[in-house]
Amino acid sequence: MAFATKLALGDISPDDCPPLLESGFEKNLEKIRNMVAPMLSAEATGIKLDESKCTGCNNCVVVCPVDVAAEPPTSEGKAAMSKDTVFRVENGISKIINLEKCRRFPPDKLNCRVCEQYCCTDAIEIW
Amino acid sequence: MENIVCNGCSLLCDDVSAEMSGKSVNSLGLCRLGHAHLETAVTHKVGSYEKELEKAADILVNADSLLLYGWTHATDESIKEGLALASSLGGHFASTVDFGAMQVMSHNIHSNGLDIDLEYVRNNGEFIIYWGSDPSESLHRHPSRFAVLPRGEKIPEGIESRTIGVIDVRQTETMKMANHRLILPPGSDAELLDIIISELEGKSLIKDKVLGIPGSELVGFVRGLQKSDCTVIFYGSGMINSGNQEANLSGIAKLLEVLRSSGKEAYSLPMFVQSNTMGVVKTLSKEKTRINSLQRIISGDYDTTLIVGDDVLANLPGPAAKALAKTKIVYIGPPGGLTDKRATASVHTLDTISAGTGTMTRVDMREIKFKKWKASKDVGTTTDIILKLHELVRKKKA
Repeated sequence: MAFATKLALGDISPDDCPPLLESGFEKNLEKIRNMVAPMLSAEATGIKLDESKCTGCNNCVVVCPVDVAAEPPTSEGKAAMSKDTVFRVENGISKIINLEKCRRFPPDKLNCRVCEQYCCTDAIEIW
Repeated sequence: MENIVCNGCSLLCDDVSAEMSGKSVNSLGLCRLGHAHLETAVTHKVGSYEKELEKAADILVNADSLLLYGWTHATDESIKEGLALASSLGGHFASTVDFGAMQVMSHNIHSNGLDIDLEYVRNNGEFIIYWGSDPSESLHRHPSRFAVLPRGEKIPEGIESRTIGVIDVRQTETMKMANHRLILPPGSDAELLDIIISELEGKSLIKDKVLGIPGSELVGFVRGLQKSDCTVIFYGSGMINSGNQEANLSGIAKLLEVLRSSGKEAYSLPMFVQSNTMGVVKTLSKEKTRINSLQRIISGDYDTTLIVGDDVLANLPGPAAKALAKTKIVYIGPPGGLTDKRATASVHTLDTISAGTGTMTRVDMREIKFKKWKASKDVGTTTDIILKLHELVRKKKA
C-alpha cells in the first residue's frame, strides 16, 4: 500500500519495485508502466493542461486563489496581465506560467482542485 | 503589449492586450475565439479601393430595388452612415437580426430595454441560470468575466456565493459548473416554465418525474429560486430559435414577475453572439417603419444588395441565401468569405479590431469604444468607406 501511495504521488516509478523486475512479471510491469505513463507527463503538481481542449475561457485564472492574491483584478473577472499568476491566457490558450506558486506544488502539496473543477472542457486534469 | 478591444463575439472584451511580433500577433487574455479572430484580422490587407468604390456607386445608383444588409459586425458609426446612405438611395435598411434578436427585443419582456448590465450581474447575481444557452461554446468568457466565477460587491466569494443552473436539451460543457442541471425534451421549455411557476405559487404539481427530470432535482431548483435575492436568466438560441419563441419569452416574463412579487430581484438577459447585434437592434428600434427582410429576400423583391461586414451568403437560411445570391451584390467589409467572393463589387476594409476606432454595443447594451494600437491604420475603416461611397452616390445622383 505504501508503495502504491508513493507511486500515485509520483515519488517513485514501477521500476523501483524489485519483485516486478524479476522474470515472469514482465506483463505486470508493462501494465503498471502503462497505467502511470500519463502521470509522468504531469507536472510536479499533478496538473495536466491539454492545450488542444482549452478554449481560453479564463475560468482557471479567475478561480485560482493564488492568481487572485497575485493580481487582485482577476478576482473581478479581469484577464491576468502580470507574470505573477499561476495561470495566464496567452494567444487564446491557458498556460501555467508559475507552477511553483500552485498550492499543490511540493512541499505543501495542498489538495486544491478548483482549476480542474471549473474547467468546462476538461482541458485541466489533476492526477 | 497594448490594450485592445476584441470584437470576436458580443462580449467585446476590453481588458485584453496584444502586440505585433513581425507578421504574427501575440495576445493576453483573449479567448481562443478572440485570438483566432485577431490572427485573421491582422493579415487583412486594404489596398487601393477607388476603382471598386466607383463601380459600387454605379451599381447602387442604378438599382431598381435596393437592400442594405448585414451590419452585425459593423460599428455603431458605420450603421448610422448606412442608414443615411439608405435614405439617399431610397433603399431598405435591414439586417439578419430582423428575424431573431429584433423580435426578442420587441417582446414585452424587454419593453423598457434591458433592466441591468453585466457589471450588475457580477456584483449582485446570486442565482445564475443559463437557459438554452451554452457560453462554453460561443461566449467563452461570459462565466469568468461576469456571471459565474468573479467576485462582486454582494458576491464576496465569487462562485461560492452563487448558485448556477443550466437548462438545455442536451448535456453541455457549461453544466460542469452547475449546481442544477436540467435536461428537458426539445420544445418543452414553456411547459417547464409553467411547472416552475406553479411550484413557486404553491400549487405544487411536481411529482416523481416531470418532463424526464427527477422531481427532487426540479424541487431543488425551485428552492434555489426561492432562496436567491437576485436571479438572472441568460436565455439563448435554444429558447429563441426553437419555434416557440413567443411562449418561451412570455413564460420567462411571468417567472420574473412571480419572483419579483415575492420581493426578490429577477432579470433576464439575452445571449446573442454576433459582435454588434445590439448596435443594429438599437438603431432599428428607432426606425418608424420596419420590413420583414427575410420574407422579401426570399420573394425576390430586390435586384441589388449592399452587404456590410457580414458573410450573409454563408449564414442565411438556404432559400434566402440563394435568392440573395441572384441579386447584384456590393460588399463592404474585411476580405474573405462567400459573400465577398460572389460580389460584383467588393471594397475591402480593416476589421474593427485592427482599425481600433469606433464604438460597438455589447450584448447588455453597454457601448464599448475601440482602442487604437500598433496594428491600427488611419485609412480603410468601414465607416470611412461608407462615407466616401455616400459622397460618390450624391455626385452621381446630382
